[in-house]
Amino acid sequence: MNAQTERIEIIQKTEKVKSRKTARTKHIMTICLFIAPALLVYLLYVVYPIFATLNYSFYNWDGTTEKTFVGLGNYVELFKDAIFWTALKNNVWVVLTSVFVQIPLGLIMALMLFAPIKGLRLFNSIYFLPFLMSTVAIGMLWVLMFDPINGVINLFINFLGFENIAWLSDENTAMIAVLLVVVWQFSPFYMILFKAALVGISEELYEAAQIDGANTWQKFKNITIPLLLPTIISSSILAIVGSLKAFDIFYIMTGGGPNGATELMGTYMFKQAFNNFNMGYASAIAFLMFFLALIVTIIIQVLESVRKRKGGYE
Amino acid sequence: MAVMKKSPLYIIALLLLVFTGYPFLYMISTSLKTQGDFFEKPFSLFSSFNFSNYTSVFEMGISHYFFNSLIISVAAVVIVMFIAALASYPLSRMKFKFNRPLFLLFISGMMLPIHATLIPIFKLTQSMGIYDTLWALLGPYIAFSLPISIFILTQFMQEIPKSLEEAAEMDGCTPFGIFWRVILPMLTPALMTVFIYNMIHLWNEFIFALVLLSSPENRTIPLGLQDFYGEFSVNVPGLMAALTLFSLPILVVYFFTQEKVVKGLAGGSVKG
Amino acid sequence: MRKFLATLTAASMIMLAACGGEGTGSKATGKSGSGEKVIEVWHIEPGEREKYFENVVAQFEQDHPGTKVKLVRIPNDAYKQKLSVAMSGGNPPDVFQSWGGGWLKNFVDQGNVLDITDQVDQDLYLENAIANTKFDEKVYGVPLGISTDVMFYNKEIFAKYNLKEPKTYEEFVQVIETLKENKIIPIALTNKTKWPGAYFFMNFVGRIAGPELFDSAFKRTGSGFDDPAFIQAGEYIQELVKMEAFNPGANGIPVDEGRGRQLLYTGEAAMMDMTTSFINNIRAENPDFEKKLGFFPFPTVPDGKGIQTEIGAATGPVFSVSKSAKEPDLAAQLINELTTKENAQIYTDKTGSLTAIKGAIPTDETMKPLYELIQNATFMQMPYDQTLPPELAELHKDTTQALFGLTMTPKEAGKKMEAKAKEMLDK
Repeated sequence: MNAQTERIEIIQKTEKVKSRKTARTKHIMTICLFIAPALLVYLLYVVYPIFATLNYSFYNWDGTTEKTFVGLGNYVELFKDAIFWTALKNNVWVVLTSVFVQIPLGLIMALMLFAPIKGLRLFNSIYFLPFLMSTVAIGMLWVLMFDPINGVINLFINFLGFENIAWLSDENTAMIAVLLVVVWQFSPFYMILFKAALVGISEELYEAAQIDGANTWQKFKNITIPLLLPTIISSSILAIVGSLKAFDIFYIMTGGGPNGATELMGTYMFKQAFNNFNMGYASAIAFLMFFLALIVTIIIQVLESVRKRKGGYE
Repeated sequence: MAVMKKSPLYIIALLLLVFTGYPFLYMISTSLKTQGDFFEKPFSLFSSFNFSNYTSVFEMGISHYFFNSLIISVAAVVIVMFIAALASYPLSRMKFKFNRPLFLLFISGMMLPIHATLIPIFKLTQSMGIYDTLWALLGPYIAFSLPISIFILTQFMQEIPKSLEEAAEMDGCTPFGIFWRVILPMLTPALMTVFIYNMIHLWNEFIFALVLLSSPENRTIPLGLQDFYGEFSVNVPGLMAALTLFSLPILVVYFFTQEKVVKGLAGGSVKG
Repeated sequence: MRKFLATLTAASMIMLAACGGEGTGSKATGKSGSGEKVIEVWHIEPGEREKYFENVVAQFEQDHPGTKVKLVRIPNDAYKQKLSVAMSGGNPPDVFQSWGGGWLKNFVDQGNVLDITDQVDQDLYLENAIANTKFDEKVYGVPLGISTDVMFYNKEIFAKYNLKEPKTYEEFVQVIETLKENKIIPIALTNKTKWPGAYFFMNFVGRIAGPELFDSAFKRTGSGFDDPAFIQAGEYIQELVKMEAFNPGANGIPVDEGRGRQLLYTGEAAMMDMTTSFINNIRAENPDFEKKLGFFPFPTVPDGKGIQTEIGAATGPVFSVSKSAKEPDLAAQLINELTTKENAQIYTDKTGSLTAIKGAIPTDETMKPLYELIQNATFMQMPYDQTLPPELAELHKDTTQALFGLTMTPKEAGKKMEAKAKEMLDK
């Protein structure tokens, strides 16, 4: 080794490091400037309540100024609480329905919007209507539609040759009924997500496949699905996260009943907080909901990045 | 022949049409009944055509609620679109140490049940002295729209090819210039999705409005609609008339945004 | 797109600044700029009742120059949530409405309600009603209204099938059987909301064991919620369910949307156990039905200790002053003003409701017999769910709903209630 070349190398390196350093500070500054506005609002209104919730969850608190510290007491109690487990199980049903019914239906609806049929504009707007309606209206209308005596759903199943079903008051069917409404309400959202992704797929790819003699199914399987995969995955995350904190439509249609058949973590938390005034306990439920969703999201994200690396993405 | 081949498509399309459209029809139909009609025939479709519910909605002095809702939701959504797109840019396209944790932090807001945040946010709003003003809603509305917006936008931004950005950089564009001139125009479909999602969400938002507002003159539409509720009763047809009316602006927004999501606009340059 | 974004942002910010600023000017509680004293009142009452408040308040403002009363109406469901956030967040309104009983007591226990014993003339009110706002012999609120739950029925249908108002359970069952034979739903029930079903439970318990049992279970002085009478009440309910006395799927039908009332209006159903608020619903929804409306008190049961002059009743609206009120004396004066005898007379005349104030006699033909029912009552049972602490009340409603759904045995329900009662009340 020549000492001189070594020295030159060292000088070059330090210079590189220096210029890299200024470039890096500049880079970091840029990043900060881009992120700062969102982060500021976010820290104040979201991150602070998250920590406040975590803090409340360690107390026995009925809403007064006085709180008693109970450590993990609320969590210990929660794990022994049968209603919480029922609620968690019901939430899992919502998750499964959202991922395996809602998203595929959303995809089908989106694909229909690119189908070679007439009246696409009409379909496009009608399909979207459920998502646009307010949850209050949805709840009221569907309760009427599920009416045990003359509701349209029962008229429909009578037509198919079945007996009337007391949808919302039967513990065995209440969940199914509300899940149907959930699917109905949110599929259009996934439709527009998929639609936005589908317009990004180049026609040329399909044309090339056409030349290679691929049929519609092959094109769908080999072009559409792989290219939609990122959207499918993020839709799944949205669906799971949304399902874990589902509340509104259940609260309006069944209030978690009958006899806890449609109780969710969200409705249970609401009851504990605003009916029973167990703010500490409710905070523990809320934080657990948050934590569960976070864990699931992290797992999906990790799996996704592994997949990307394997697939030689980027 | 061609029609025969396409008929399954039409059948699916029409089935979906009935499934998605029926409740909306039912809503309109109910809004055209008087209370008496409704109690006589609650389930019938278009059995009466009475527009009195619509006139009484206007007589309720609801334009004030409408104006409040319009201002707050448009302001919040537009700010969200802008700052969420800004934040999504480095999160999706730059490498830095805290990228992943920061991203997770941003989307973790989706996971927090809103009801748990009410008391902290109520206190916060009190201490800022903006309780019972429209300003009280702006912060929560923006903050709770950010997670899903950032989530959707980063996902779409990842799909934009690096080459475009590099070319712009060669031309001496600043990072903001690249963002504004190169990235943003390509994001239109995603931005439109974010816009419509948040708009619908905030247009119907009830719980923050309930807790953070009090004076009648500050109320937004969802709060104003509570006027249809009695002690143990709801004026269902009246409420449906109001809800039908107030879904119209959203429908217009939807048409407007969907016009922007067409094949070719993004498709030409972005390849998934 | 970008231009659109930029213009829209600018425009909306300007609008918000303009309107938001206006909002800040009219800021809520406490003293506003002009040295005016402001009392903020939260209530849930619609229609004529709200007008009554507005009139009383207008008079009050005239009598007390420099005072501004701000009435804020928030309907029932949302109200409970808004109030509890405001209480926990440390900024409740100066005056708020409740139903007395367990829900009010909860805020009293939290130390959020002002003791107004010295400012209130207790003799003005029906004893049973004011008792519902007293805890430890201190008065925490004044009751304006009172309602009772009775079995309303369609006189036309009863006449058509030669039915008489049943006085005993046997007669009641006969009425049900006859109606069923004629393809009429005997009793309309909207039990998604849970309290209508809970009235049946409460009424049966009262008829079986008389007035003392609930009190002893609640105050932990004798039998508990697993007493045989509670179990038997559950058995009666399930017997009625099994004989198909109620509309199918009752547990899934909410009160507010009116499906239960609709069954009555159209003659599909013949009876409904409801509070007197039903009359106001009829007047708004189907005025013609008032002519057909009859009522009878809940029938007695074989070997039961309870009699028909023991009735179920509920207070509401009840007004209380919160401890943090900035003008506590003025606020107390206001709630007294809302419940004077003269004003109560106006209230009962204008709103078609009964009052908890002595001597306010309704002139209205439909209300009169109900008024007399209350006057002649030998005992008034406040609804369990408004007497018990909220968590236990919720369990009571849940278990009763499950009884109606036949998914819980009366014994299980009793056991659950007693276990929770031990946990919450034996302190």
